[in-house]
Order: sequence, then structure tokens, then C-alpha cells
Amino acid sequence: MSAPVLVRPAGDGGGPVVAVQPGAHVLRGVSAGPSLADHRRRTPPPPALPLADLVARVRDVDVRGRGGAGFPFAAKLEATAGAGRRREVVVNLSEGEPVSFKDAALALTRPHLVLDGAVLAARALGSRVVHVVLPGDRAGVAAAVRRAVDERGHEDDRVRWRLHRAEGRFVAGQAHAVVELMSGRPNLPVTGWQPVALHGYRGRPTLLSNAETFAHVALLAGEHRAAYAGAGTGEEPGTRLLTLDGDGERPTVTEVAHGTPWEDLLTDEALDGPVLVGGYHGTWAAPGALRGVTVSRTAMAAAGLSLGAGVVLPLSPGDCPVHRTAGIVAYLAGQSARRCGPCRHGLPALADAVRATDRGIDLSARAGALAGVVTGRGACAHPDGTARTVTSMLAAFGDEVAAHASGGCGYRPPRLVARSGGSGR
Amino acid sequence: MSARLRVDWPACRGRGLCAEVLPELVSLDEWGYPVVHGDVPEDLVGLAREAARTCPTLALRLVGSR
Repeated sequence: MSAPVLVRPAGDGGGPVVAVQPGAHVLRGVSAGPSLADHRRRTPPPPALPLADLVARVRDVDVRGRGGAGFPFAAKLEATAGAGRRREVVVNLSEGEPVSFKDAALALTRPHLVLDGAVLAARALGSRVVHVVLPGDRAGVAAAVRRAVDERGHEDDRVRWRLHRAEGRFVAGQAHAVVELMSGRPNLPVTGWQPVALHGYRGRPTLLSNAETFAHVALLAGEHRAAYAGAGTGEEPGTRLLTLDGDGERPTVTEVAHGTPWEDLLTDEALDGPVLVGGYHGTWAAPGALRGVTVSRTAMAAAGLSLGAGVVLPLSPGDCPVHRTAGIVAYLAGQSARRCGPCRHGLPALADAVRATDRGIDLSARAGALAGVVTGRGACAHPDGTARTVTSMLAAFGDEVAAHASGGCGYRPPRLVARSGGSGR
Repeated sequence: MSARLRVDWPACRGRGLCAEVLPELVSLDEWGYPVVHGDVPEDLVGLAREAARTCPTLALRLVGSR
């Protein structure tokens, strides 16, 4: 395997150094440099594909949204095209999940692949403007994209580029929150009576997709298309990006063909411990649950798991899934936009119940009930995602919850759990 | 398509009138925010419309009804 490219999404201001593993398609040639000249040496400018042709190519390999929801991109393209004539295209690079770095990795290594995909979609839809939404809290990513967009001035893209800077909060990247930002209002979720594909920016049909999605679409334009279609499985062609260890000292972004066994990606130690799959809005895999499973939407669904936006967090040795979940839910409760009652009140209550359970006061039944109460009751899916993490923890680690209730913990050495103050060591 | 009550959550202030007008379909959670139970059957569409109209923050919408 060739050496990873190291990037710093936060810029000079700190934050983790992320290792980007060179890949076969989306992450091909990442070490060659992010400039337009470097990119054009390998990839010709995107052609003007008619909409029907682009839809057919996308459908052929079943490209799905990589922001987490996994909606078929061909259907989104068609919905946008069918909903009116002035269509908007939005590249969502906000990546509000703090442990996800895949979009940051693309911005820092292959920004022009993402922009090529957006140009392809814009030209097929007849859009004159492409909006790019930058993360609020990753200065290095924002600077890299600004640089890339400046370089596009020399290209004949036939689109104008408009940049927006999201706020650095978890829910900032939600589709309706992004449209609010673009419209000059606070970057917070609002009730979407219709999908933004039908009624988005200025009420126009708006193709808003995650940056990684556009990178995959770009691969369908040129010569590389056949190779890309040949990757993965017959049912799920192509690849996807994963962020491994996004909460660790050296997060890694890697491109994985669909159908790859988890045994090829994770160490035995990680596989035989708890793994939070899909990020903070994810689902816990019990120890060993990923063995025999592959990186594939259907295989994961059959195991009761979902890849979400591709975040994979093996639990650090010595940490406990109940304790880790308590920390995550407390963080997520703090990330609420505090606009919707059930989220504003329900997530802190949920965080309290999980924290109490971690500390040996068994409020797991209340946590489970609260997870049910908040689900489906907000302008965005923040309460749903938070509830999902809690519910999956309760399902996968019922024994561990019981152990906590009787004063123990199967994961953390007892002295770390029992001691409160004391010797000062 | 059957009718459904949808809540505009950022607009809802938990005043609870909807649960008074339409207790058959709306209960309140422990903080006073509405919990909508299922679709609106034909015979409750009138009351559902009433609930949407009387919401003091106009946070309730009847969608999918003719």
C-alpha cells in the first residue's frame, strides 16, 4: 500500500492530522497534489452530458447520497429536473460531524474532482451557478476550496461559483439549514414541508448533495467510468469513503470497494470490541458483530447496522460503550439548535438518563422511552440520530448496562470506575 | 392519500390547544409538546382542521387532505 497523504483540515490552527490513503477511484492520485493543473493532467474537463445520459450513468452504478441518508442520486437529479426550470446546484462540504473527515480529505486532496461532478450536474440541469457550502470550523478545508474555486476561473465551466460558510455546529449541514444559510438567515434547520429538490433555495428546485457524492458522479463522465463500475459488487457497484478512528489522534480516510469484508479494514482487536458505525448518529456493533459482514448497504442493513456518512469508530481499549455513549449524547444534546421543543428538552433528559445509567443508576428504561419520544419530532433528524445511538447501545450492551447497575463494568478496570478522588494518582 | 397532522416544530411553543381540540389524535409529552398518533381518519378531518386553525403559533398543518 502506498504512503498516506497527511492533511490538516483545521489548517494551521490545530485539530488532528488526517491520513488519506490513496485509493483506486475517488482517492486515486491523491499524492499528486490538489491543484487544477495536477488534476487536469489525469482528468479532462467534464463534458456536457445531457440530463438523460447523466441520469442513466448514475443509475447504472446506483450512486447514492454520501451525506448519510443514502438517497439514490439519480432520483434526486430527476426530481430536481422535473420541479421547475431554474435549478440550483449545491455542493455540501460542511461536514458538521466532528469525527467525519472524508469530505475534508477530498477538499484537501482532490477538490477538482468534487467541482467537476458539480459542473457535470449543473450543465445537465442547465444551472448557471454552483453553490459550495464550506465548513465553519475547518479553516484548512475552507481555504483549500477557495483556492480551487479561484483556479476554476481559467476553466470553461460555464457556471459561476458562489461560496457560503456554514456554522461549525453538528446540524449546520442539514439540507434545510443549508438553504437557510444560503438565503441569509441563521444556519439552522427549519421545517421542510417539501424536499429541497422540489422547493429549495429561493423556492427553486435545488440539487443539494454531499461533496463525496459529486466526486463519485465525476468519475462517470470520462474514461475511468468502466473501471469504477467494475469495482464493488454486481448489486452495489463502486466505492465509498470511510473515516476510521475519527475520534483518535490519527483519523484515516480510506476508499473502500463495496463488498469489502470488515476483516480487511479493522484489526482483530477492533473487530472483537464494540464499534460505533455511522458516527455519532450511528449504531453500535457488538463485539464480533462485524465479522462476516461486508461494507455494503444491504449487508449492513441485514446486520441491523448502517454506514451513515461512513464514520467507523472502534472503541479505544479501556473505554466502555455505555460510558462512551453517555459522552456522545451529552455532546449531541449540546449541539441541538434548541428550536424544537422535543429536542431542546428531550436530548438533555436523554443525556441525563444515559449518564445516570453509566454511573450505576439504571435509568436505561427511561433512556429507551425518551429515545422513542424524541424520534420523528423535530425539523431535522438530530433527535432521531441521537436516539438511534442510544437505542443501539441499549440493544447491543444490555449485559453491560446490568453490570453497571450492580457497580461493575466489563470494559474499564474497576479502580477507574470506583475511585472518586482519593490518592491523587 | 390519507390526511396527516404535521407539526412545525421550531414554531411550536407547547401551548397544548391541539390536544384539547383533538384528544383522539394528539397527546402531550412531559414538556407539553404534542405527540401525534397516526393519520387523521375521515371523521376527524374537521376537528383536525380546527386544531390547526386554533394553534396560537400556527405550528400545526393538515397535509394530504383534499
